[in-house]
Amino acid sequence: MSRLELLTPEGLRIDGRRANELRRITAKTSVFSQADGSAYIEQGNTKCLAAVYGPREARYRQQLQSDRALLNVEFNVAPFSTSERKKRSKNDKRSLEMATFIRQTFEPVILTKQLPKSQIDIYLQIFQHDGGVLQCCINAATMALIDAGIPMIDYVCACSAGCIDKVPVLDLNNLEESSDTPELTVAILPRTGKVNLVEMESRLHIEKLESVTELASQGCMQVHKVLDSVIRENTEYLRDRLNT
Amino acid sequence: MTTLESTSKSFEVFHRIQPHEYLRRFLEHNLRPDGRLLERFRKTLITTGSISTANTSAMVRLGGTTVVCGIKAEVCEPHVERPDQGYLVPNVELSPMCSPKFRAGPPPEKAQVTSEFIHELFTNSNIFPLESLCIEQGKAVWVLYADIVCLNYDGNILDASLLALTAALSKLSLPKAEVSESMVVEADVSNKTQVFQMNRIPIASTFCVFQEPHALLSDPNEAEESLTKETITVVMDTNGQVCHVYKNGGNSIDSSVLRTCFERGLERTKEMAELIQQA
Repeated sequence: MSRLELLTPEGLRIDGRRANELRRITAKTSVFSQADGSAYIEQGNTKCLAAVYGPREARYRQQLQSDRALLNVEFNVAPFSTSERKKRSKNDKRSLEMATFIRQTFEPVILTKQLPKSQIDIYLQIFQHDGGVLQCCINAATMALIDAGIPMIDYVCACSAGCIDKVPVLDLNNLEESSDTPELTVAILPRTGKVNLVEMESRLHIEKLESVTELASQGCMQVHKVLDSVIRENTEYLRDRLNT
Repeated sequence: MTTLESTSKSFEVFHRIQPHEYLRRFLEHNLRPDGRLLERFRKTLITTGSISTANTSAMVRLGGTTVVCGIKAEVCEPHVERPDQGYLVPNVELSPMCSPKFRAGPPPEKAQVTSEFIHELFTNSNIFPLESLCIEQGKAVWVLYADIVCLNYDGNILDASLLALTAALSKLSLPKAEVSESMVVEADVSNKTQVFQMNRIPIASTFCVFQEPHALLSDPNEAEESLTKETITVVMDTNGQVCHVYKNGGNSIDSSVLRTCFERGLERTKEMAELIQQA
């Protein structure tokens, strides 16, 4: 059985993209009435939904912190999101690990000191899994937090990158991820360019590390442009509604 | 002498402190707080096929309540006593994401009740013959896992869930499968059978009853649902036949009220069946 050609000699990938092309991003905010802030992001075929409740009263009194807000993240994958049905419980290790990454990413960015003794809940739901789940979740959570009006230092934009046949490629989909491609996810704060999260679980040659990270950061800036334009559009719409 | 702003604030305060009285004032004028007439159902939107990893999917928006149903078909061995029947496994998920009412932890009561309701409906009311899910008698049958995830909860999860499930089933087509000699089931995804056939299209209509003033509200939203003591759910199909009736405790009602439920339910069923066709 021949190996799938992930990158043709002409530089095209399986879905027709070039090595440094992002998948198409569609983003919407304020999709639900019950949550304080909500966002829906589609990055290629990966569909992710984020709902933010907060700041609200903490659920467990003991966890209350007198000088800052508590951040709680829950990550859930729908059973029909992968090609093989897998009913993942919310407490299994992979989901908890994802939730912890996302919580640690946002804790320094949200101005928690301004909201003492309260709790902010971020709920993430994946509807379709086609690679790049962590980056999709971080982007969706950023949009939802902004939609909820929670004060933050900056956007957090995330992007994944990998290395196929010694060529750095941007934004891997599921097929590329599962074929032994090293994958690196980077989350940055676009205004300063500072890195908030770097995550990689596979093997990557140290000589390639810099170019892959550089490519991922560039991808983050592109993502930031898309997210920013959606937020600005929504805010203008709200402003127009308020003025009439 | 109160300004407009302070008047609307006092409405909100009144709504919070005295929700029953607030609702009663509206009902006296045959209106509801969200502006609907008593018999009006909320705006319903159905979209199908948005999730490509599932065999079929449907998303339903019933006013604010949003649910997504994804159906995945898998193969398994049939029950020894029913060797030619497949299974439909509905599972409704109400996570803390959809409403602040639900807490993290084991599935809330409402989710389990709704799942069981749907399961019973499909088992007992001949919606589609379970024999149509048979691949080879005694050896392999299809199991349809229907996962219904609620994204935003604004009352009446039952109607929305059943509608999503029915819409998804109406667009389902199972791949042709056969059992080889080595007891391995081979299913050719590209070779699909015709669209899944259902005998009846069940549509649920939920109503809630208030005693003073006497009012029957169609399609209660979350606020109305939390104030009522009794709900009636009527499941009918497009031929005007009743599939399932459910009334939970509370006060006893007149038979004329039940008749009104059936009439409104029939109208609603016809509308929804057409909407499913168009989706």
